Amino acid sequence: MSLLRPLVARAITLAAVFLAVLLILVVALGLTGFSERVLAATVGEQLRIERATLAQTIRDPEELERALEARRRELYTFYGLDRPWTARLPQTLLRVLSLDLGEARTLRSFKGSNRVADIILERLPNSVLLLTTALVITAAIGLAVGVILATRPGSRLDQALSGLAAVSHALPTWWVGILLILILAVRLRLFPSGGMYSTPPPTEPHLRVLDLCLHALLPVLTLVLVNVGPYIYVVRTITLNVAREDHVAMARAKGLPESRVRSHHILRVAAPPIVTGLVLGLAGTLSGSILVETVFHWQGMGRLYYEAVLGTPDEAVIVALTFLYTLLYVVARLILEILYVFLDPRVRYAD
Amino acid sequence: MRLRETWRGLWQSWAGKGGVGLLVLFLAAAIYVLVTYPADFGSRWWSNPAAWADNPKAAPPAWTNLWRREPWVKHLVFEARAPSQVLETANGPMSVYRFPLSHPYPGPPTFLALTLGEVTYARQPPLITVSLGRPDGRSLRLYRHMPPGPRPGEGPPFRRYHESPLRVRLSTEATTVAAVQQFLAAEFGLQVSERELLGRVDQALFGVPEREGEGVRFRSLPGDYEVVVQVSFSDRGDELGLVRFVLGGAVFGVMGTDDLGRDLAQGLLFGLPVALAIGLGAATFSTAIGATLGLLSGYAGGRTDLLIQRLADIVANVPLLPLLIFLLFIVGSNLFLIILILVAFSWPGLTILVRSMVLQMRAGQLVEAIQSLGASRWRIMFRHILPQVAPYLLAQWVFTVPSAILAEAGVSFLGLGDPSIPTWGQILEQGFRTGGVYVGYWWWVVPPGILIALTGVAFMLLALGLEPVINPRLRRIG
Amino acid sequence: MTSLLEVRNLYLYYADRQGDVRAVDGVSFTLEEGGQALAIVGESGCGKSSLAMAIMRMLPDNVARFEGEVLLEGRELLSLPEPVFRQEIRWRRMALVPQGAMNALNPVMRVGEQIIEPLLVSGGAEHRIARARAEALLEQVGLAAEVYHRFPHELSGGMKQRTMIASALIMSPRLVLLDEPTSALDVSVQAQINNLLKRLKWELGIAILLVTHDIAVASDVCDELAVMYAGELVERGSAEKVLTTPVHPYTQKLLASIPRLHADRKPEFIPGAPPDLRNPPAGCRFHPRCPYVMERCRHEPPPIVYPEVGHQVRCWLPGKQIVGHPEEKRS
Repeated sequence: MSLLRPLVARAITLAAVFLAVLLILVVALGLTGFSERVLAATVGEQLRIERATLAQTIRDPEELERALEARRRELYTFYGLDRPWTARLPQTLLRVLSLDLGEARTLRSFKGSNRVADIILERLPNSVLLLTTALVITAAIGLAVGVILATRPGSRLDQALSGLAAVSHALPTWWVGILLILILAVRLRLFPSGGMYSTPPPTEPHLRVLDLCLHALLPVLTLVLVNVGPYIYVVRTITLNVAREDHVAMARAKGLPESRVRSHHILRVAAPPIVTGLVLGLAGTLSGSILVETVFHWQGMGRLYYEAVLGTPDEAVIVALTFLYTLLYVVARLILEILYVFLDPRVRYAD
Repeated sequence: MRLRETWRGLWQSWAGKGGVGLLVLFLAAAIYVLVTYPADFGSRWWSNPAAWADNPKAAPPAWTNLWRREPWVKHLVFEARAPSQVLETANGPMSVYRFPLSHPYPGPPTFLALTLGEVTYARQPPLITVSLGRPDGRSLRLYRHMPPGPRPGEGPPFRRYHESPLRVRLSTEATTVAAVQQFLAAEFGLQVSERELLGRVDQALFGVPEREGEGVRFRSLPGDYEVVVQVSFSDRGDELGLVRFVLGGAVFGVMGTDDLGRDLAQGLLFGLPVALAIGLGAATFSTAIGATLGLLSGYAGGRTDLLIQRLADIVANVPLLPLLIFLLFIVGSNLFLIILILVAFSWPGLTILVRSMVLQMRAGQLVEAIQSLGASRWRIMFRHILPQVAPYLLAQWVFTVPSAILAEAGVSFLGLGDPSIPTWGQILEQGFRTGGVYVGYWWWVVPPGILIALTGVAFMLLALGLEPVINPRLRRIG
Repeated sequence: MTSLLEVRNLYLYYADRQGDVRAVDGVSFTLEEGGQALAIVGESGCGKSSLAMAIMRMLPDNVARFEGEVLLEGRELLSLPEPVFRQEIRWRRMALVPQGAMNALNPVMRVGEQIIEPLLVSGGAEHRIARARAEALLEQVGLAAEVYHRFPHELSGGMKQRTMIASALIMSPRLVLLDEPTSALDVSVQAQINNLLKRLKWELGIAILLVTHDIAVASDVCDELAVMYAGELVERGSAEKVLTTPVHPYTQKLLASIPRLHADRKPEFIPGAPPDLRNPPAGCRFHPRCPYVMERCRHEPPPIVYPEVGHQVRCWLPGKQIVGHPEEKRS
């Protein structure tokens, strides 16, 4: 039962984060008059269409204008444009929370739908695929190498990798992606330079999967290359610090074999802060994935951001994406927090 | 003073020395840029295509010739405000501009362009003739031009091409093409149609023609050439202020050019103080805010503490890039806004840390002792607690700078950079968006990234160098 | 009959930038048999903790010199390769209750699991049996059996200390070393732990080597007392003899510095400071602080002399008395 209490606290904080971002989104849209403009534009569009249809039935130009004016007033009331944006706030919030994300202006889903929800949902799995693969590989390498480094601190390998970790932190992930494209795809022609599948994509399922893997290799490599350095360093430092603690010396004094000391007394104790390290790196990997998707034309949510900004700007998509990324982040964070509570018993009973 | 110890400790390690060295270099370069470049470099020069018209497009840097067996043509600009010679002719004074050049390349220049500026005349406009002398002794007239005559309602002196100089791209100019046709017919006995000469005017001028089947081929003619510009004035006192002749190169400058012909060296250089401003600005403000809130939260306790803690917790968990994208998108991109948003979301980490350190110190006896002496809250916070915390603040600050620079580069790459100020991220964005990556324009996309990374590395080295200095401190407080 | 523990000429130096720290500088002593407790008493920094660590072969990375002989039940330990020492000696024959039991427990593992860990891993015992034994031990040290399931952060200081004692006993070693077992605890809990140690001595017949700066604890629990100063043992004898008739000036000073409730005199302080173990004084190491210092003390390190049977001291003072008299072995 006492497992739940700290978890609930974390969950509440993360929910607050989510709501706060939502609030920022909606308030920013209202405050800058953006939502007004968008809604007015929508009304304008509708009126234009209706003008054409109405013009067929109403011949008198004055009557036509009056009819359109009345229609415009109707639409204004419908969209709430006759009230200040603060009055529209609760309605907008509810709409977003119920995932009614509106329609995109120019972007379309693969199947042709212009509903934002459809567009985004189609691309969500692609982003998740990229992210989780990169995260898992980074964590695996980070753990393996970090632990090895911790057994020989101060060695040349250790110094070299610490330097590398420092440099990694300063490298733009997406630029590394560009470099890889330049070298491996353009110059050496070893890998495709972008996209998720070849054109035309193979039809057989196993060939399709292989094709996907081939295309995923460079983006995942980019994400891993940049994030693994700092993570190795974090794992190494934490493991080193834990290895120096008294209970480790005690375990050795008890005659336990070194392998057991390593697994149960060093790694097991280092696990909670290492998980925290993963959490801290999560934000960076998320942002990195947005840009990496852009560079590699990977049809995920990140790439969608780019297309929405670059094309005739599609505000609905951008708002929805910001909202969803926050949601994604919050959920991932929550999962890791749950993991942490399981790993560290000291947290369970804290008030 | 603790700061002096910190400095000495920093200087002891390789990393510290490297970081400080790099930083000094960057600061020196930034100061140079601030002094020599105009503040509106972005809008007046960088975004202004006229400024780059005479540069070759997408040309790699000149030093790439070092590893080429056959060097590519270097970009040559001849500019003269005063003539090499002034002759007296029967019709009036004549200024002659001579531009000798040696052309040892196996290929021709990529284009030829002439710019004339600041013409002033009393009665009749001058006649300007441009001809090319070749190493094989032949020469031909490339171009002839007379600025527009007096217009109705105008009085002397007549001024032409003062505000906007005349620029002619000779390689595609109709009269030049015709002149080349005549030249080929007269000197080599070859009839070459206009269509055949399309795009090969430079080859013809700098080469020797050879019949190849139905068409004609040009073998390159290396040697010494001379461009002669003759200006026949009708009256003494008439002037031509500016003559510029450009032989377009295949390579250009220190960093090459982008697809619009912009000198990347200038763009990259200008980006340096901008990047530093972003990094240092965002880091300084977020460190200041974070530290102050942390001090306040740890020291005041109670509801203030709770409020600040909750706020920090929430802000710390907001994903930065999506929100940055959104806000820049709807408000419009602006450098100060970028810095503002970065600061607004970077302070929580420091607050949480400073707060825990303050709590540890409060549990110690030093603070109690000072409190009993009757010092005010603020005094205690800033005169006594802050110096202890300072080295760690410095480390955080150093760590934040590269993050801020990277964040700005990231949004610029997505197309949301401040359009009036070129940044490294924007240069990268242009290189990527126009497909430069896929055609291998490495000099366009690699250097900005290297510069971003180097700036970050400088600060990371500082952070590494600071680590041994602050760690013993941490252990003392903890 | 061989002694249970015999230490001969044990040296342990640490490497330090300013010179080697001579923590244990030629220490020899014996502990005759089980059911006896020997206290090593001295100020902080005299090397007593290092002595315990040396015997347990729990050495840090910066060891400059480590040699000598440690015989446990006649078997020399220092020359054993580490794997042999680990499998046959550690925790089976000899166990340690460290200083600062607070940090010696793995924070993410349940206490009971930590206690039985050596039994399971090296002893190859069945989990059920090991657990039963652990719970029995916990009760024996005065804790409830259900403490088995607790995490260390749920226990008080005293409870943790008792846990460490139970943990040390899990494989029924002949010798248990305790390093400052009660320094971090309240007086009332101290008394409880002291009583526990005495009880274990009598009930289980284990030999105890107790390292402490607290003479009161030493006198309460231990039968024999050895005084350590600057890396050397300066006096050794039965607790009664050493406490009532201390021969070495340092021991005398040490005893005089204890505040006594019913005495008329005030506690005295020992003038000067403990010597730097990197550069101990020449001759007798105590000579700069000794009230009876003679010229000889400044230059010649004093030998071990026996003022009476079973009582040895390293000093020039009783030089006029018996020299080199081998002590009678107790039967």
